[in-house]
Amino acid sequence: MKHVLLRHRDVPDIHKLEVYRKNGGYEAWQQVLKMQPADVIDVVKASGLRGRGGAGFPTGIKWSFIPKGAEEVYVVINTDESETGTFKDRELLERNPHQVIEGALIAAYAVGAKAIYNYWRGEYMDAAHECQAAVKEAYEAGLIGENILESGFSCDFYNHFGAGAYICGEETALLNSLMGYLGQPWSKPPFPAIEGLYAKPTVVNNTETMANIPPIIVNGADWYRQIGTERSPGPKIACLSGHVNKPGNYEVPLGITYRELIFGEAYGGGIPGGKAFKALLPSGGSGPIMIDEHLDVPMTFEGPETVGSVMGSASLIVMDETVNMVWATTKAIHFFHHESCGKCTPCREGTYWMEQLLHRIMEGHGTERDVRVLENVAENIGGKTLCALGEFARNPVLSSIKHFPEDYRALVQPSAEIPLAVAAD
Amino acid sequence: MSDLVSINVDGVDIEVPAGTTVVDAAMRADIQIPVFCHHPKLEPVGMCRMCLVRIGMPVRDRATGELLKEPDGSVQYNWGRTLQTGCTVRVAPGMHVVTNSAEAKDARDDIIEFLLTSHPLDCPICDKGGECPLQNLTMAHGGGTSRFNFNDKLTNDKSVPLGELIYLDRERCIQCARCTRFQSEIADDPVIAFHNRGRHLEIVTMSDPGFDSYWSGNTTDICPVGALTTADFRFGARPWELTPAATLSPHDAAGENITVSTRREAKSGGRVVVKRIMPRQNEWVNEIWISDRTRFVHHFAEAADRLKMPLVRKNGQLTPTTWDEALTLVAEKLAATGEQAAGLAGDRLSNEDLFMFQKLFRKALNKNNNIDLANKRLAGGDVTADVGIASGSNLGDLGKGDTIVVIATDLHEEVPIWWLRVKQASERGARLIVLNVRETRLDKHASFVMHYAPGQAIAVAGNLLEHDEEVATAVRDADNLVIFYGYEGLSYDETDALARTLGNLLLETEHVGRPNNGLIAVWPRNNTQGVWDMAVHPGLTPGYRADRNPGLDANAIYAGAESGDITALYIVGADPVGDGLMPGRGALDFMVVQELFLTETAQLADVVLPAQSWLERDGTFTNGERRVQRYNPAIQKVGDSRPDWQILAQVIEKITEGSEKTPFAASLVFSKEIAKSVRAYKDMDYRTLGQVVEQFPKVGGDDLYYGGTSYANEAGIGQQWSASAESKKPKKPFDVPELDVTRPAGLVLLRVAALYTPGTLNQYSELLHARMAKPTVMLHYADADQLGIADGMSLVLRVNGTELPATASIQDGVPSGVALLRGFAWRKGLESAEIVKVQTPITA
Amino acid sequence: MILEILKGLGTTAKHLVRPPVTIQYPEVKRPVRYRFKGRHELKRYDNGLEKCIGCALCAAACPADAIFVEASENTDAQRYSPGERYASTYEINMLRCIFCGYCEDACPTEAIVLEHDYELSFVDRASAIYTKEMLIVPVPDSGTSTPQQVEAGSFDRAIPDMEDPK
Repeated sequence: MKHVLLRHRDVPDIHKLEVYRKNGGYEAWQQVLKMQPADVIDVVKASGLRGRGGAGFPTGIKWSFIPKGAEEVYVVINTDESETGTFKDRELLERNPHQVIEGALIAAYAVGAKAIYNYWRGEYMDAAHECQAAVKEAYEAGLIGENILESGFSCDFYNHFGAGAYICGEETALLNSLMGYLGQPWSKPPFPAIEGLYAKPTVVNNTETMANIPPIIVNGADWYRQIGTERSPGPKIACLSGHVNKPGNYEVPLGITYRELIFGEAYGGGIPGGKAFKALLPSGGSGPIMIDEHLDVPMTFEGPETVGSVMGSASLIVMDETVNMVWATTKAIHFFHHESCGKCTPCREGTYWMEQLLHRIMEGHGTERDVRVLENVAENIGGKTLCALGEFARNPVLSSIKHFPEDYRALVQPSAEIPLAVAAD
Repeated sequence: MSDLVSINVDGVDIEVPAGTTVVDAAMRADIQIPVFCHHPKLEPVGMCRMCLVRIGMPVRDRATGELLKEPDGSVQYNWGRTLQTGCTVRVAPGMHVVTNSAEAKDARDDIIEFLLTSHPLDCPICDKGGECPLQNLTMAHGGGTSRFNFNDKLTNDKSVPLGELIYLDRERCIQCARCTRFQSEIADDPVIAFHNRGRHLEIVTMSDPGFDSYWSGNTTDICPVGALTTADFRFGARPWELTPAATLSPHDAAGENITVSTRREAKSGGRVVVKRIMPRQNEWVNEIWISDRTRFVHHFAEAADRLKMPLVRKNGQLTPTTWDEALTLVAEKLAATGEQAAGLAGDRLSNEDLFMFQKLFRKALNKNNNIDLANKRLAGGDVTADVGIASGSNLGDLGKGDTIVVIATDLHEEVPIWWLRVKQASERGARLIVLNVRETRLDKHASFVMHYAPGQAIAVAGNLLEHDEEVATAVRDADNLVIFYGYEGLSYDETDALARTLGNLLLETEHVGRPNNGLIAVWPRNNTQGVWDMAVHPGLTPGYRADRNPGLDANAIYAGAESGDITALYIVGADPVGDGLMPGRGALDFMVVQELFLTETAQLADVVLPAQSWLERDGTFTNGERRVQRYNPAIQKVGDSRPDWQILAQVIEKITEGSEKTPFAASLVFSKEIAKSVRAYKDMDYRTLGQVVEQFPKVGGDDLYYGGTSYANEAGIGQQWSASAESKKPKKPFDVPELDVTRPAGLVLLRVAALYTPGTLNQYSELLHARMAKPTVMLHYADADQLGIADGMSLVLRVNGTELPATASIQDGVPSGVALLRGFAWRKGLESAEIVKVQTPITA
Repeated sequence: MILEILKGLGTTAKHLVRPPVTIQYPEVKRPVRYRFKGRHELKRYDNGLEKCIGCALCAAACPADAIFVEASENTDAQRYSPGERYASTYEINMLRCIFCGYCEDACPTEAIVLEHDYELSFVDRASAIYTKEMLIVPVPDSGTSTPQQVEAGSFDRAIPDMEDPK
């Protein structure tokens, strides 16, 4: 299959403007500049493209929320790729940056934005050099800047670095950080589409989403819909890591099964050393854990929901039989505790409490009651937090207790009071 | 005002203004939704998650807009996926809110449990213990036992000074951001902020000195836990041991309502002493905020060097004596002097004192009109009596369409609470016009700023309608127009002309006689208005009636004392010698001083009578908005001091040989004498001044978590008296005297106010010593170059033979040709001082 | 009838030979029960620091309003108790006290204990007020008297943990 997003794998040196343009680059941009903004949005709507950051909100609809005639609009690219096991945006911007820039320009044109901010995860400083070089080339070629290609449309592109905070992947926290405030989310409403950056209408899209846009414009919505499934069209980059023979980024059509991704020769190629599969974190640390019997569901936005999980950003962390799931959960909760912004109580205190409980269990001082409390704390966080981070933090705990009670049982002292058997369903 | 929206909370239908949050709306119906981070005066953030409620909206058909019905015919509601925070959701028509369901209660229990995982269990020694929202809500919502392992508790710094005034306990902080939001949204001093993230989120201060704000104390009131405490009250007492007394700020013309908490103290030999000062709610005056000066400057009242006994000069020495002897001597001397006696009063005195003072001269001394305010800085009481801000006004109502003019005053330094309320009005959309010689803090919020040359205030005010089309429109077409004027850089006569000019402006644009319109004088003291109302004035009698035989004014009295035309002088609550108004005793035969301290004036007197401070007695003050407010005693009297009105009444009683009896109480002075003589006060007595009305947000009581620990107003909101323009339109404009306002050539010296100016009262509050304004001469760089003065150079101001040390400061924003004197107590002749450079720095 | 008289005399005779029950107070003192509630004592830790942190909960709990507490802040140079504050004034008016023991219940640090001294008599009302010096127990051999000078930062809890602090 020819890559749509990871085109640098087919075309060497595509990060250079010259090579990119030779291979059809910025054709979509030239095409778009002759279209009406509303028509651009219609094309994206028709393609059924859904946000690749994890939530899967239809991109065209998001763009259409921007009030018509708003004077000042911003487009923000969310490159704060901080989810555990996710490394797709980095590869895109490092190797194929023009495609993202072009996509963002199209988005800017569609919503009438004069400035694009690319919000980078702070740790990606090196990767950003490639992107910055590409931006410079595009400026020099007149593809960004004042009066682009004599169309009368002007737009600037800025790369901005965060300080390395997971929470800044949340769009409102990202915007706060971009404005120079503490990276904490705000309570919606106001939604960014109405009051975002500098209290002006703002579109926030994931990097991968932006990369999808130029091919849609060039090849049309119908072509795009041929890839993937009816409700989740298009290609998706899956980040495969953990106990697989061939970890890495794989561009796959949505709808492929998880089993195929992990065990297929074209993809993960199975578990090293022939060990047995134990668990899959389908969306970094934040998605509910999947087990062997779940692997035949298709990787789409809806597929994993049937087994109580999510696709998210499709960062698959595979674990073999040697992994103690309590240990894995402890690692995940440590991450969430470390990354909790502290703005709302349940997440700030709940992640801390869960980490304390997990540490006690891991050290062998826990009882079955502690597991029960752990589960209850995770439940209590649910539905009370300001943003999704707190909700994510529950998933590893709840799903590991559900699917791997024996891992917990092996570590804790039995307690007559509340047997773990009850806790584990 | 705004449109009303009807919603249903727990089955109760209520109507609230559109834009109200669900928590505030429920509170108006007395349904309490607990909160920590939400505060009705701050923007919602939804951080603590304590106010989780189930909110349902009626479902409408997308196509037709019709309400959808359930099969049983009732309206169908969309109850949402999860509980929502009541503090961030604004009311919408038809909204249903459920606060008392099991799921909402469970949610609150869970949030309390989460909060307590990191909160230390040090309630027994916490200053907030006993009036703590977290404690109260834990009692209401917390579980009986803890599931959290005590040893896993996070420990953190226990006492972090955020500057000298406020201490932070990082462990107790529940990260609600009320303090940081107060500082940025209300006080506009964003000097504290969050640092770090997650459980390590902590409050830090970024200013030097730490927590550099005139409003820092208010954060301790709204802190829902004991994380922020004041250095003044730290470990002072447990809240339930305190006795509250409702009183007023004695510091500025706004008359902030306060509650003084007292307790018996062993260290003070069993005396009842002031432990802390907290705001008392008055939405017309200070809402629920007070400035730090009001909160921390009270120690003078309990100072060791207060006068405790009457003193009489015997053999050249002031010797303690009995009241009877002292009063008899005063009465005899005054009665014998008759026409040649004169009196000077201060403007910190209460209305009762001032009334008795003028009665002593006008009645007991047979229509002697030689009385005046000792230190006259700002004129125009007669103008505000006619066109002053009308009764029923509330600066909090000003907003879009309204205009506020502020001229010749720096509200932030002089009357901070007016600065706050004017700033908020401008944030609500009122146009603000700031006119001054120099930059002031208010400029930032103004829509029009003009810096005029010294002396041009009257001309600028007179030409306000011609100067700039936009300004003229803003003034002329304002729905409501309020004008503040002060005395910065102006002589007394100039302020008089300024007041009249502004009065004419109000008359011309027809902004008189209706609420939220009129003139406000930024008086130098708390009861300068009362001095005018009680007619401590040589040419007026109580009720602003002109006297046909005017007496000598203050300047004439000082001159008379020097020349011998005046032989006996009675000074109450003023220090003219210290203020440089009077060089010494001059040719006086007899001099009585009634004071708290042995001031420079008192040291020269023949009789010194110890008066009570405002904390020891009751009385009334009238603020700059002409609101008469009552205050109550908080502590026992110091020594054998007596209230000023009583001393004066006893002198009257002695002079009249008992025909004028001393009233039993200040309330009787007010109701039997003031209310009868002063027309504007005729419907008032202590009972009507003590009337309370329901205010929003509700504070005090059970709902400490909602408005903070400011005290509810149970002692009266006072009464604003009607300006004469409210009943009959003044026929003719005020006569504006022609004045020569040219300044002598060369550098113009101009004293500017600072909230913490070293002075008699401030110096007793040791906490504030580090924050006192340093005596500084601020210069434009061009002037400094010309004078050969460098930044930081030591200077001396030579004022009538006295030398005052100062430091030079070269600053942007100082107009050229002007030297601003900051950090100097008011002193006659200061503005014509000679600036001398000294080689060696002089320490004050 | 004779029999009854003899029976009565018998009882008398029996008591003639029994040891007397009267105790020669004050030369001899009868021990009180373990949980007897007599005069209060303010306890110390083994290192000599006072247990009382001046929280005044005893005063709040006192139904007779017999206790008066005033707190001050500890410093490392002048440390009285392990916590942030200590009782700079502690007075109990023994005329008011009803020995109910609520103060002991209310105390979060087990500083105030009703001990076994019941010999409370006064010649005037003022001497019925027991000050902190009268109430506090002597410094144990293992400790030093208060105020102590301690190393900065060695006591950083608002209320000490219930075990003996270092």
